[in-house]
Amino acid sequence: MSKLIVVACGAGINTSTIAEDSIKERVAKEGFADVEVKRILMADIEGYLARTDLIMIVSMMKIFRTYDVPVFQGMPFLIGSQAEKDVLLDKIVEAIKKV
Amino acid sequence: MLEFNESLIAFDLLAKDAKEVIELLAGKMHAQGLVTAEYGTQTWAREMDHPTGLPTKPFCIAFPHADAEGVNHSALGVAVMRQPVKFQNMADPDEDLDVMLVFMLANRDPQEQIQTLRNLAVLFGQPEKLTELRDQTTLQGVVSWLRRELRLS
Repeated sequence: MSKLIVVACGAGINTSTIAEDSIKERVAKEGFADVEVKRILMADIEGYLARTDLIMIVSMMKIFRTYDVPVFQGMPFLIGSQAEKDVLLDKIVEAIKKV
Repeated sequence: MLEFNESLIAFDLLAKDAKEVIELLAGKMHAQGLVTAEYGTQTWAREMDHPTGLPTKPFCIAFPHADAEGVNHSALGVAVMRQPVKFQNMADPDEDLDVMLVFMLANRDPQEQIQTLRNLAVLFGQPEKLTELRDQTTLQGVVSWLRRELRLS
């Protein structure tokens, strides 16, 4: 079964595109053929929660509740140093491997 | 293609608030036919719902944008402030940030501008580069610095 990662931001345009691009590049490098990365509007997140293939949420905004899947704060993709971006990508890869 | 030219830059800008900066940059884009007359209003409305202040170091920046609707041709406008203006933090709208640089990317299609978005994210993560940009002393300096660092044509 495929594994879905949603990348949420307020507008679903420039900001989430940057995070989506960084994650997709790393996913390809790791050779995860079954992982889909999709950018969505924060407002649409509820619609994805029931999906059985959802494995992770990456959000550009702080999230003040918990979900059944791991949640990562994606701001380092936009403003982090290369080292901070890599640390976040490492954590995401670890979480994918655990699924 | 991304339109970028000297007339899309506001240098040494004094503005009373974020709305004034957004409307000024959108006005510059509209003057060149790059966006519709409503783009500034749309972007400000979006900013109030989904703020774009970013807690970069050593000072904060903002990355305002609206939907592709209203954009005739993708363009980048930049404001270098003389004094900071307040934007809310994208990650936490309850937090005010003092913003010295405003990057307005009017984008028709994010995939088309993926390389510019990548270059912006690299820039936003480098405090010394943001300082270099803020410390430019002329409009022409800002333009050539951005062309070089963001690899704009």
